[in-house]
Amino acid sequence: MSDAANRTEPARLSRHLAALGFVLPALLIYGLFVLYPLLTSLWGSLFEWRGLRQLDFSGIDNYLRLFTFPNSEKLFGALWHNVAWFFGIMLFQNGFGLVLAYLLFWSKKGASFFQSVFFFPAVLSPVIVGALWRLLLAPNGVAEWMLNGLGLHEGRLTVLGDSNWALWVLIAIDAWNWMGLPVLIFTAGLRQISYEVFEAARIDGAGTTRMLTTVALPLLVPSISSVTTLSFINTFNQFDIVYVMQGVQGNPNFSTDTLVTYFYRLAFGAEGAVGITDIGLALALGTMLFLLLSVGTLLLLRAFDRATVQP
Amino acid sequence: MTPTGFLARLPRWLVLLGWTVVVLLPLYALVVSCFKTTQQIYADPLGLPQVLSFDNFINAWQRADLGRNLINSVIVTGGAVIVTIVVAAMAAYPLSRYGLKWGVWMLALFLAGIMLPIRLASVELFTLMRDLELLDSHLGLIAVYTAIRIPFAIFIFANFMRVLPRELEEAARLDGAGELRILFSIILPVVAPAVSIVAIFTTIAVWNDFFFPLIFIFDNNLKTVPLAITGFVGQFRTDWGMVFASLGISLAPVLAMYLLLARQIREGAAASGAVK
Repeated sequence: MSDAANRTEPARLSRHLAALGFVLPALLIYGLFVLYPLLTSLWGSLFEWRGLRQLDFSGIDNYLRLFTFPNSEKLFGALWHNVAWFFGIMLFQNGFGLVLAYLLFWSKKGASFFQSVFFFPAVLSPVIVGALWRLLLAPNGVAEWMLNGLGLHEGRLTVLGDSNWALWVLIAIDAWNWMGLPVLIFTAGLRQISYEVFEAARIDGAGTTRMLTTVALPLLVPSISSVTTLSFINTFNQFDIVYVMQGVQGNPNFSTDTLVTYFYRLAFGAEGAVGITDIGLALALGTMLFLLLSVGTLLLLRAFDRATVQP
Repeated sequence: MTPTGFLARLPRWLVLLGWTVVVLLPLYALVVSCFKTTQQIYADPLGLPQVLSFDNFINAWQRADLGRNLINSVIVTGGAVIVTIVVAAMAAYPLSRYGLKWGVWMLALFLAGIMLPIRLASVELFTLMRDLELLDSHLGLIAVYTAIRIPFAIFIFANFMRVLPRELEEAARLDGAGELRILFSIILPVVAPAVSIVAIFTTIAVWNDFFFPLIFIFDNNLKTVPLAITGFVGQFRTDWGMVFASLGISLAPVLAMYLLLARQIREGAAASGAVK
């Protein structure tokens, strides 16, 4: 670096101070309202609680209670619903999203129009999405009217009150809500693949479908990685749609209960007949969920990183 | 176009149009239902309304006090967006351009926040807000939303600022401009696309959220639109016309923004993915 350039920079120590001063407002807000509550939550899971008061250190007592009946039943029920949710989203939203993106990639016209339409539900509040679908799927609603009209169904439609169906209906609505995101990420990923790669495959006699599996998929690993990671984080944080459509208990009979709705009931008091909070249990559950999310995310990112084809 | 070319094209368009219908049909049902009575919705949910009646809108507006809720949402969203842009831009500037050793670690600390599940800390956050007397206040919501959105904003700003040429601020330093002036009158205008990405996605996230109002806001006069709608939908669940109209009213500003900014939103979402 030339002397002139050096002179124009703030002197060394003052440069550090200036940088610190610039970072400080963001660091204070982020530290106070994100890092501090997160760390005290993890630490607090090792204590006994009465209401919002932290009492004695109790080691892993809360965790033992979490994994004992009847709490364990709720825990594993909710965990299974989240796992099912993740795989449902991977298959229906991200799998079908990839197909839509691939079709758009080969369309010369209209791609951005379709992308805009597909993405629109994603900018809506989950409250609007949930309330809208609750009305559409209610007895007397549009879905019943259409299915009956097409002769696919007879009488009252009660899928949201049916514990065999409710969870899958919610997963489908979540996919409807977020389908545009994998479509956008995958089309962006496909456009980065050089056209010659497809051209070479076509000369080798590969059809459009063959090219998807043999050419596009291996080169799309970075896009698949971000879509999968985002879906993982979002499904294990799932709360909004369940709360709006099925209530905080995950009706009917806890069949749509998720880890975060269970956490919410424990933390803010809607669990059990009397609605008493159990902060110790909530924090233990929160900590487990935190570990699951961070370890899961890191493992996913690492696995995809290894699978990435180096050009 | 050759006949075979047309046939090869046909299923592609069918699939794309099929999903378009799946997306638009529920929204169409919402729009037409806003103008019907509940009885008319039951009888003919998809038909166009016979008369253009605004009764549902008027009822919903008055009974849900949606005007008040819209103002609250504007205050909270506007506040969070402005504070997020200012503090995140200030932090991203030295972290991406000063080449400090600790800058890398500081950046990593912020970026970790993109995937931290902050909802799981809501108990301790609630206690903190209570102690700071920030419960039931817009300022409290603005603080929490800003804290949550800072990581994404710094990520975007740092990425855009890193690649700018050094001459940009060096010339200004020679002229004796202070660092704040350099950031806000030279750097920030150059990274205007980053500002718009941060503004758009912070707006969407904050405007739509109902989790934090749900746990922090109890006063009806302070509720934001999504929280108010949640209560309203439960309370008037049998008056479908009015409920649809309330959904229509809360959807309108988002739709207007989307029609104006669809391209930026598409590009931003494809590049960052971090909309939620």
